Amino acid sequence: MRTKETFAVYVFDTTTDALAMEAWCREHGVPGRLIPLPQEISAGCGLAFRMTPQDDEKYRSALEASGRKFAGVHSVQQFVLRDQGEERKRDDYS
Amino acid sequence: MITVDARGEACPIPVVRTKNAVKALGGPGKVKTLVDNEIAVQNLTKMADRKGWKASSKKTGEDTYEVLLSVGTAPQEQDEAETVCIPDTRKKKTVIQVASDTVGSGNDELGHVLMKSFVYALTQQDVLPETMIFYNTGAKLTCEGSPVLEDLQTLAAMGVEIVTCGTCLDFQHLKEKLQIGTVTNMYDIAERLLKADHIIRP
Repeated sequence: MRTKETFAVYVFDTTTDALAMEAWCREHGVPGRLIPLPQEISAGCGLAFRMTPQDDEKYRSALEASGRKFAGVHSVQQFVLRDQGEERKRDDYS
Repeated sequence: MITVDARGEACPIPVVRTKNAVKALGGPGKVKTLVDNEIAVQNLTKMADRKGWKASSKKTGEDTYEVLLSVGTAPQEQDEAETVCIPDTRKKKTVIQVASDTVGSGNDELGHVLMKSFVYALTQQDVLPETMIFYNTGAKLTCEGSPVLEDLQTLAAMGVEIVTCGTCLDFQHLKEKLQIGTVTNMYDIAERLLKADHIIRP
């Protein structure tokens, strides 16, 4: 099932900065992914980097220390797929 | 009172299971059905209206709606009018034709970035395509190592059918690497394109 969850979304002045951030994060094992800039954010270039709020909290200082340039961080809701592990509940005829 | 938990189910399943529960009542009584979206509520209340059952609904949680049916008389056995579903999130007869692993042409590095953005953007849409067809270098996108695999999995879970050209997999030595969807051939691709109302090529 698709559901909306909150993410920390990093925005950049240039596409080059966004791609550099993705490359740096991959190299340093920082989880997150590049996404097209969500429409509700009006600032920044067309690409953004999305992290869970937990990862953002964990890695923000490392990212700031790395010298990666970003123009800001926004909190944005995005669709994600919820775990399908849950078995279908049986009808309760009691 | 019978409770049916139909959260996570697509129409017509919640309606069918609710009807079965009403049948199981064997007479007047109440059926409570839980669903996870507004459209499912409407499908159930519409069915209740047609059958002459009283229906009330309320939102009880972030993803939970409760529909309570009060059945006055037992349903007649022969009453098997077809279940009407309000359209789901897929746009019928809309095909996305992925003919390359880039969006546009001219700069492949940019084209790859744009493809990742495009497939992600699809996962964020309210209305999804019915089918995505992958061929030529587009076939790489449904295989191991594809940067869009996770998003394609999301789309597949939402009911989008994903098919990849078998010749293209074979030619690019990707036959064993397919990770999502099914393999198809040019007859099927031609038929799908001919029958589509909308073909979108990124």
